[in-house]
Amino acid sequence: MKKQLIELRINGELCEVAAESQRTLLEVLREDLGLTGAKEACGTGECGACTVLVDGKPILSCLTLAIEAQGKEITTIEGLSKAGELHPLQKAFIQQGAIQCGYCTSGMILNAKSILDENPKPSREEILKGLEGNLCRCTGYNKILEAVMAASTGKD
Amino acid sequence: MEDLLFIGKSIPRKDGVEKATGRALYTVDMVLPGMLWGKILRSPYPHARILNIDTSRAEKLHGVKAVITGNETLGIKHGFVETPRYPPDQYPLAMDRVRYIGEEVAAVAAVDEYVAEEALNLIQVDYEELPAVFDAEEAMKPGAPEIHPSHPKVKEHYKNIGGKTESGWGNVERGFADSYLIREDRFEGQLRTHCYMEPQATLASFDFSGKLNVWTSSQGPFIKRAKLAATLGLPQSNVRVLKAYVGGAYGGKIDLFAHEFCASLLSIKTQKPVKIVCSRDEVFESARHGQPILVELKTGVKKNGTLLAQQVKVINNSGGYRGSGVVVIFLCWGFVMLCYRIPNLKYDGYSVYTNNPVRAPQRGHGAPNLRFAVESQMDMIAEELGIDPVEIRLKNARQPGDILPNEDSVRNCGLIECIERAAETTQFKEKYGRKESSKEHRFRRGIGMGVSSYFSGSLIYPNASAALVKLNDDGTVSLLTGALDIGQGAETILSQIVAEELGVSMDDIRVVAADTETTPIDIGVWISGGAYVTGNAVKLAASDARRQLFEAAAQELEASPEELIAKNREIFVKDSPGRSISFTQAVTASIAKRRGNPIIGQGHFRTMKDVPAHPSLATTKGRWSDNYAFDAQVAEVEVDMETGQVKLLKATTAHDCGFPINPLIVEGQIDGQVSMAQGHALWEEVLMEKGKTISTSFLDYKIPCAKDMVESHYIDVITEKYEKDIPYRTKEVGEGYVSGMVAAIANAVYDATGVRVKTLPIHPEKILMGLKEKKHRGK
Repeated sequence: MKKQLIELRINGELCEVAAESQRTLLEVLREDLGLTGAKEACGTGECGACTVLVDGKPILSCLTLAIEAQGKEITTIEGLSKAGELHPLQKAFIQQGAIQCGYCTSGMILNAKSILDENPKPSREEILKGLEGNLCRCTGYNKILEAVMAASTGKD
Repeated sequence: MEDLLFIGKSIPRKDGVEKATGRALYTVDMVLPGMLWGKILRSPYPHARILNIDTSRAEKLHGVKAVITGNETLGIKHGFVETPRYPPDQYPLAMDRVRYIGEEVAAVAAVDEYVAEEALNLIQVDYEELPAVFDAEEAMKPGAPEIHPSHPKVKEHYKNIGGKTESGWGNVERGFADSYLIREDRFEGQLRTHCYMEPQATLASFDFSGKLNVWTSSQGPFIKRAKLAATLGLPQSNVRVLKAYVGGAYGGKIDLFAHEFCASLLSIKTQKPVKIVCSRDEVFESARHGQPILVELKTGVKKNGTLLAQQVKVINNSGGYRGSGVVVIFLCWGFVMLCYRIPNLKYDGYSVYTNNPVRAPQRGHGAPNLRFAVESQMDMIAEELGIDPVEIRLKNARQPGDILPNEDSVRNCGLIECIERAAETTQFKEKYGRKESSKEHRFRRGIGMGVSSYFSGSLIYPNASAALVKLNDDGTVSLLTGALDIGQGAETILSQIVAEELGVSMDDIRVVAADTETTPIDIGVWISGGAYVTGNAVKLAASDARRQLFEAAAQELEASPEELIAKNREIFVKDSPGRSISFTQAVTASIAKRRGNPIIGQGHFRTMKDVPAHPSLATTKGRWSDNYAFDAQVAEVEVDMETGQVKLLKATTAHDCGFPINPLIVEGQIDGQVSMAQGHALWEEVLMEKGKTISTSFLDYKIPCAKDMVESHYIDVITEKYEKDIPYRTKEVGEGYVSGMVAAIANAVYDATGVRVKTLPIHPEKILMGLKEKKHRGK
């Protein structure tokens, strides 16, 4: 299939990629742009490991074509810390022990960010409901919940 | 342990920033210049003879660089266990026969994944189908199809026995004859799987010096190196397995796998890097899952609940090759005898070949299903005798100093305290058995207990760990360890030990890990010995470095080395803290004094150092471990009596972990195991039909999600301590707590409903069926 030029705005920067139109956003991020923070664990939209933010909303980049994301603002885990300063959620995930193997972490943090952006003081139930599409096999979610609660209350 | 600054402290993990920022590179993320992609062709038949493989069309496809089949290999078999009794039984690529659906028969390397996938379609394999058998008990029958003809058998009259463990002591017949009550029950564990989020993946790069470099998602590089070298016919020193971050393993990434062998051989053939990443459905369909275990359990007790005799038969369905099947039937013996005093025991374990995919260890390696059986029956016996579940456990529990039948000691076993404190904290006795009073309610609560025990390291290749601690000119410290951090926090706790011994900060320590070329040998992170065995090796290396540093610093401070203390990056003289130099100054001085000889501390540690080898898998004779962890867990559930749905409301874990090196990490291990136990007890099952996997995605195989999170409580029973200059005995915390909790959930469901489910998982229909039967019996 013929490649076409795709323009993507990622973490505030404009990137040009020549890619076939069937390529997913996840493939383009990981393979063409070297942004490997987003992970593939299932490739079929079941686990949330590939979550990135598009115009602030969490999407499954394994089910999104790269061409669909043109003209939108894409945020990946690599764009979350600013000038070397970690985002409060990143700090909280580290401090609270919410990371073990870390494979689900980038998707989990980005989804948590969208939850907090929409509702800065969510209840425990709202957080768990919001994160139910992001599978984690290591933590049992307990420390992840504590981390999101800590970030929402401004504690590390 | 109030003097300690790092041990026993909840210190955030060292790799946290890399993981939280997406910078940590996993095998799936690795790319090398000129890299090719590999794909594997798998058998569509559960049992067939391979008559011919024609790869010519695939080879001609534009973009294909190499195709391999069994004929291109050396035909060297490998096995999870390789002993005279259990010789290797599996080719890395099938030669003449396939024994399960998904077995690897050919592999392709091409310029991209799409071309590689297309090439697979062009490989023509002619098979002659053979009769197959899938059920372990069917496979044991005389007329069953023979899966490994011309293979030395463990027992002639059972054709498909891949392994047998026989053990026992005392006289069970007499024990049963003296018993007031005898129960016989059969419990069935299901086939479940790890669901590591990072799929199986390998990148292999054969360089022009003749060295094969391999990054692979694993549980320790040394065993991979040994098996790759053996099957590829390379000297071990020509294979280098390097660290990559690992996206979860839980037992499923230990042994050598075909994708690792194929990526390596394709790289050797093409002289280019080759990467193979398995898709999720490939993982579900053909990677190794856990061990499904059948337990037939006969138990005799006195009227007061004291155990008199136990007769246990365990049957494991190992799939087409042994995998870890012959280990799990040995371990199940151990998981029977560790927790309770059993005066008379007869144990028979069978590992049976069937035409299913091969099976691997999975967190607890047999213990969850085995303890589910023993602990369920313990409650049934208690109820029949009118004894409280806590009392019957206390009556039979192992006590400090007990010598096990294989001559291991449980040493300062804290099981009794675990049971007592778990019961007390949860108000177990007040809550237990209240089901009758809430008869009319749709939602009923129940409480249940399970106990288990797990070993902390054993003698399996490479048996021991070594470590190096290097003091650098700028006052930083490099730790060289073969341990691999798979998420359990190995690099963090090992750094805590170095920081404690040298009085430096966590940030001063750089960890170089899990590289067969540059780091010393390591026991591997699959035998629950990391914190104990590798930890002690690191402790010895760090204290060796400190000793050397003190010798140099003593001259500077005009004191004797024995008088010195290292703390807060200072070295000072005991009782006169004014006389001090900084850690960095001391290192600098040591370099000058020692005329350029840098300080490198060395340490190594092996459990049971005078015991030559692991115990007999056949007879269980011989030392197994010198360090056992114990736990008692309590589950509190709510059951919807109309739908049969079970909700695990609260999990309490009281555990004798020795002492926690890092409580935050220990809590994380417990939470993860509770979650895994929840899935194991209630939902998870890989469904198979005639060797074909039906559950091929997370939609078909339900693991706990955030909405299912369980409130988790921890009680640390401290039985050991960390002291300078003495090896310590912390106990394992990574595997044991699935087991007690699975049993606790089953017992809590019974407490809530009166329905005893003996086959896992406890699906709602089993509860509803049980309620219906109960109602029927009631009439």
